[in-house]
Amino acid sequence: MGNVQILLHQHVGAPCRAVVQAGDEVKKGTLIAAPTGLGANIFSSVYGKVTDITEDRIIIEPADEQPDEFVPIDVPEGASKLDMVKAAGIVGMGGAGFPTGVKLGINLAETEMGELDPEINPELPADFKLDCGYILINAAECEPGLEHNIRQIEEECDKVIRGVKYCMEMTKAEKAIFAIKKKNQKAVKILNEALKSEPAISMHLMPDIYPMGEERAVVRECLGVNLTTMQLPSAARSVVVNLETAARIAEAIDEKRPCITKNVTVRGKLNGGNEAHVFMDVPVGTSVGELIERAGGIDGVYGEIIMGGAFTGKSTELDAPITKTTGGIIVTMEFPDLHGARVGILVCACGGSEERMREIASKMNGNVVSVCRCKQAIENKPGAPLKCLRPGNCPGQTANSIQFRKDKCEYIIIGNCSDCSNTVMGSAPKMGLKVFHQTDHAMRTIGHALYRTLKVSKQVSQDIDF
Amino acid sequence: MSITAETAKAHAHDPAVLCCRAEGGITIEPANLEDPAIFDDLVDSGLLNLDGCLTIEEVLGAKLVKTCDSLCPLTADVVEGAKAPSAPAQEEAPAEEEVPAAPAAPAAPAPMTAGGMLKIHIGEGKDINLEIPVGALGGGAAAPAAPAVVAAAEAAAAPAEKAEEKVVRTLTRKHFKITEVKRGPETKIEGTTLYIREGIEAEVIDNQELVKDFHLEIITPDLYHTYSETIMDVQPIATKEGDDDIGTGVTRVLDGVVMMLTGVDEGGVQIGEFGSSEGYLDENIMWGRPGCPDKGEIFIKGNIVVQEKTNMERRGPMAAHTAFDIITQEIREAMKKLDESLVAETQELKQVRRPGKKKVVIVKEIMGQGAMHDNFILPVEPVGVLGARANVDLGNVPVCVSPLEVLDGCIHALTCIGPASKEMSRHYWREPLVLEALHDEEVDLCGVVFVGSPQINAEKFYVSKRVGHTVEMMDADGAFVTTEGFGNNHIDFASHIEQIGMRGVPVVGMSYCAVQGALVVGNKYMQYMVDNNKSESGIENEVLGCNTLCPEDAVRALAMLKTAMAGEDVKAAERKWNPNVKSTNVELIEAVYDRKIALEDNEQSLPMSQKRKEKYD
Repeated sequence: MGNVQILLHQHVGAPCRAVVQAGDEVKKGTLIAAPTGLGANIFSSVYGKVTDITEDRIIIEPADEQPDEFVPIDVPEGASKLDMVKAAGIVGMGGAGFPTGVKLGINLAETEMGELDPEINPELPADFKLDCGYILINAAECEPGLEHNIRQIEEECDKVIRGVKYCMEMTKAEKAIFAIKKKNQKAVKILNEALKSEPAISMHLMPDIYPMGEERAVVRECLGVNLTTMQLPSAARSVVVNLETAARIAEAIDEKRPCITKNVTVRGKLNGGNEAHVFMDVPVGTSVGELIERAGGIDGVYGEIIMGGAFTGKSTELDAPITKTTGGIIVTMEFPDLHGARVGILVCACGGSEERMREIASKMNGNVVSVCRCKQAIENKPGAPLKCLRPGNCPGQTANSIQFRKDKCEYIIIGNCSDCSNTVMGSAPKMGLKVFHQTDHAMRTIGHALYRTLKVSKQVSQDIDF
Repeated sequence: MSITAETAKAHAHDPAVLCCRAEGGITIEPANLEDPAIFDDLVDSGLLNLDGCLTIEEVLGAKLVKTCDSLCPLTADVVEGAKAPSAPAQEEAPAEEEVPAAPAAPAAPAPMTAGGMLKIHIGEGKDINLEIPVGALGGGAAAPAAPAVVAAAEAAAAPAEKAEEKVVRTLTRKHFKITEVKRGPETKIEGTTLYIREGIEAEVIDNQELVKDFHLEIITPDLYHTYSETIMDVQPIATKEGDDDIGTGVTRVLDGVVMMLTGVDEGGVQIGEFGSSEGYLDENIMWGRPGCPDKGEIFIKGNIVVQEKTNMERRGPMAAHTAFDIITQEIREAMKKLDESLVAETQELKQVRRPGKKKVVIVKEIMGQGAMHDNFILPVEPVGVLGARANVDLGNVPVCVSPLEVLDGCIHALTCIGPASKEMSRHYWREPLVLEALHDEEVDLCGVVFVGSPQINAEKFYVSKRVGHTVEMMDADGAFVTTEGFGNNHIDFASHIEQIGMRGVPVVGMSYCAVQGALVVGNKYMQYMVDNNKSESGIENEVLGCNTLCPEDAVRALAMLKTAMAGEDVKAAERKWNPNVKSTNVELIEAVYDRKIALEDNEQSLPMSQKRKEKYD
């Protein structure tokens, strides 16, 4: 294998500081960087030798032999489970990367319900309270085309449930709910079977709509509480944990295993077809190019490589490394050429940032002349990532279409969720605007339906009727 | 865009249309409904058909029986449990859209423009929105103006309730007639002939480092067809007697002659920003506008060349104005020596207060963005330089002045941009709204507030909040807010109106808007708008003074404010600029007041210039 590059900043918070030096021999599980503020330990994912330490990464030349054994996390005898999670350097693996040891350091039994905004909770009484604390397991795997989360339920359901129970114990949550899309029938059945002996853990089935996996959408779907963009799930007496993160928690506690690998879905314009290649336990620091080779290699010319999902991911390069939060690698087909046509972009919280949207417009050779923002996309602080006020529920987009027409756009590129895209399609084409979705090139490549009109209901029955 | 409960209430009688796909079985709430403000545009483009559509108040709380997509008008067949409609607001007025107030919405369709009132709206909190409006004028005044005015007229006719007027101070203007301007060895006035010292040009050039060249021309009416660089200012030639302050005592003024400053930079670039008025004088001056020369007057025209690239810097135009004032000042000195026997006419201006009448204040927004946008405030001599403070240096904060100070030249305008909509120094000398309000026996004009228009938004809101408090402590019953130019300054213009309006004081806004100057922002207090446009096509046509505030606009604004203060409705503006709104209002006012309102000519009365032919008409 090629050199492994381990980034010093793979999480929310400050970059870590290297604690090894060039020339040091390292093993799987050797601590190589420690937090300088909010952060999480970083370990070597391979046996080998540190060859270089740069400002943002540690480069390790792997040894030829890579035994499965690893250096267990260094915690004192009788350390608490939370300390083990912290020591293992686990971060939110759904993509956000918030240090899990910090997130779980909450006592949900004593956490008060936050103040609910009546404007977005019209059907709840003002004094609504939840009966207890909840762990919500985010198994929505909402980014289209990714399959590693669902695969893990199918293959490692027990480990995941163990991790969930540890989370409940650490946070004193009485109940836990798996949030999973109903379309994943096999996984739902397996999970349902496994949960029969777990009375405190249930399952909430979700429709196949983007963005069911948004943290506040998970809270709303499972608990019926709408949080403001400033509120954390703790305001609904809950902690949302990604499914893979739960499994890593179980590994840290049961095996004293540090967080050194990541499950990744690789798919797209690859030799052999566009089906998903799921790689479990990929060493952090492996290059994108190496993973793509393992999946068959790129098939001819391509448009771009997306790291993450088609909605929220970013473009990347072959030599970029996998991190603790990398979920997907998508190689896309080439972009259409708009020949410099006037383009409007509709920025929202569910898709790419304005910068990412502009990048896509530029790759399509479009001339961005107008930028609108979805009314519900809230910037909590100047420069902070946008958050959607009511994820998955459209606030109307026609006024934006009118603006694009006024600005004489020929095309518009949108990054909206299923519901908002549907609304855009209700007006934009009739106004003569040609609509692209920012995920089009990825969706076409993987054979997924384009995000345009919405044909399914936002409500699904909770019966396992398949 | 979906609406809030508050908006839903305001639009209770407007059609209910889904903003997004909604599934069968839901209870309809405001968040499901599209903002009615964009319907006109959608109907126009055939995207929406409102036939049979229920109103917002009817559908709220009702159940949607089947899944419908966005922009679906909610008709009886898709809604279950609709409420019965309440009586539509006012039934009297035949169907017309009655009240305005409703903030309208964002989404600005293309050329929107002027109508009379305005619809616009600022989004909650931060994002603003857009607008549309425009106003042409009095859109509003229309129907409503009538009743109010009638009432007022009756009141006036009623007995002798003529509360006593109080004359606060007077200003005497002594007019001296000039029929000829010549060059001579010294600057002096003999009879009706003004002599300007030969060689004075060198002193103008030497006075300011940035002034690189200067030429003086005497333009008599037979020379009106002379090419000129852009006109930077037109100024009356006036001086105070003795130690009299601006706005009081005696002012001497020359009739038949004006100072005219024109200029370019060394690179030949006109000292203008959005448009410039260079060309043949007779094709580019709207004669008789308050700020312009009158036909027949002699121009003492100084053409200044400023250092290259300082045309767009504050120091360039400032240097030009300061240097040019050397000549005016020398004439003023000569005027001070004139014998009383040469006074052709004496005019007394009175600042009158009318206790008991509706108290009104005029807020005039003047430019203060820096670059070439500034004004000298309160010089020692009318429209002088000495003693004045630059608006920008004062921080653009509100400055309260008396109406007579305005009419006595307290503003020396450094307005070299957007010639059709900017107010020259002479404009203030003959400010029509101040004159009209001062003379209107039905109102009590308490004063005039000048406020600058800063460049930065944060500063715009800083000064507009000061305006709000200033007007609040005046206990005014009504206010006018006027502005010049268009675009950037409309942000603070709208904010001034909001700050005053939110204190419960009705505000009439006056601006050039029409087509090109359509407002870029708005708020719910911008219900009473008067458009100063006179141009045929509603554009900034680069003809000096064409779209500035004229007596006809002042009359309409007063009628509208009286209507608003009386609590009468002013009709909402039409969606697109419609010049007929203005004519209708003028006719109404003429009928009610039984007075003839003379309408000004526009650029169509001038010989067609090559520039206009190519760029505009």
